[in-house]
Amino acid sequence: MARIVLISLSFLFVTLVIAVPVAAVFHRAFSEGVATYVANILDEETLLAIRLTVLTALIVLPLNVIFGVAAAWLIARYRFFGRRALLIIIEAPFAISPIVAGLCFLLVYGAYGPVGGALAPYGMQLMFNLTGIVLVSLFVTCPFVVRELLPVLMVTGEDEEKAAITLGANGWHLFRFVILPNISWALVYGVVLTAARAMGEFGAVSVVAGSIRGETMTLPLQIELLYNDYNATGAFAAATVLTALALLTLVLRGILNRFGPKKGHV
Amino acid sequence: MTFEARNIYKSFNGTEVLKGVSLAMEAGEFVALLGASGSGKTTLLNIIAGLQHADQGQLTLDGQDITRLPAGKRRFGMVFQNYALFRHMSVADNIAFGLRVLPRRERPGRVERREKVSELLDMIGLADLGDRFPQQLSGGQRQRVAMARALAINPQLLLMDEPFSALDAQVRRSLRSSVRALQQKVGVGAIMVTHDQAEAWDLADRVAVMDQGQIVQFDTPDALRNTPATGAVRDLLQGAA
Repeated sequence: MARIVLISLSFLFVTLVIAVPVAAVFHRAFSEGVATYVANILDEETLLAIRLTVLTALIVLPLNVIFGVAAAWLIARYRFFGRRALLIIIEAPFAISPIVAGLCFLLVYGAYGPVGGALAPYGMQLMFNLTGIVLVSLFVTCPFVVRELLPVLMVTGEDEEKAAITLGANGWHLFRFVILPNISWALVYGVVLTAARAMGEFGAVSVVAGSIRGETMTLPLQIELLYNDYNATGAFAAATVLTALALLTLVLRGILNRFGPKKGHV
Repeated sequence: MTFEARNIYKSFNGTEVLKGVSLAMEAGEFVALLGASGSGKTTLLNIIAGLQHADQGQLTLDGQDITRLPAGKRRFGMVFQNYALFRHMSVADNIAFGLRVLPRRERPGRVERREKVSELLDMIGLADLGDRFPQQLSGGQRQRVAMARALAINPQLLLMDEPFSALDAQVRRSLRSSVRALQQKVGVGAIMVTHDQAEAWDLADRVAVMDQGQIVQFDTPDALRNTPATGAVRDLLQGAA
């Protein structure tokens, strides 16, 4: 009996809080017909926003993967001064509100900040362009890969790495044949989460993007802009694209869970 | 290959784990490092393997100083306590790993590697299991694969860290003789770390008894039994056959 009540409550909760709102976005986007929906998606500014969002994710992902793998391996395998501090700093973006993060970047890398100011005379501008968007996206997505890899690296692979070393493996062999196969599933999870966050981030990006129409509008920013312009259908149409991208990452994750290594059987 | 460790010192965070250990072995000899946990035997083995570095002291192989040679360049085959097989590689790929990562000039071709692997699989009696993965094998089979992987690189010395401790008593006894036979067949010198005196007795030509970071006696099993140098040795040998 208690089980049935709990199950019903769970479903009621996710329906009201998650399923209905997400479904409503799609419903509203198509409420004026498919033709209007398609026209809204093909709007020049919306297409540019999609392009910018995907481009940002494509730049952020490889940087995050390289940093995340290196940092997680370092933290898992070595004991060094500042190790705990490094771990805490890497996870800080989880705790810091994205809008605060955006303001921090503006302070340091903006035209009047120490770094931005120093670069300004050379004609280099870091904020209010793609660079700024990529920088804050790196900030907010920094912990994902590390967080996925660290638990795996902590419990597996150290002896295998030692064995590989005694057998004559160099650094590349070690990474390619031993470390990478051991962390591959965790790495894919990290990448999926990073991609979802990089594409969906609003707060931090809104501070440093400068909202230049058709130039620095990412998809989340474009949605807000359309909505504030009283173009609700356009906003919801764009929202379906973002939602679809997010759902795609979820589906990918589900597939990976299904076909990935079974827990406890590793 | 004659191997010698001279006056090895090692501390961790101010605690001396090895206090001037010296050990010289003949070509093809099987030496057991016997001691209780905390006696420093595993640290000594790791230093010989090149996985850790001594604070002081020297390692020589055929008279050549190898103290600072990286682990991968020493060509010492190592069998780990939990075998440390590559879990995502087949048995055959595990055994072939040391050949596959050789520099291009020295690396045998694909066919040659496959021949070497099947030769080794025959030798350990697992000829049909090359395509299996480590988790599909029994403990004893894994141990033999770990041996074959270490032998595949034609090691100058075979190092074994408690190679039987993860096995049940029955398998342990039957594998002892096959390990010894394999080592003699290949003709490679071997150093085995163990806390089990019966194991040391069965396998080793000479046993180095370690206690609190020092080798307190290094001699043949018979000599150890007849004239134990210290009370610690006598205690360790209590009940030895």
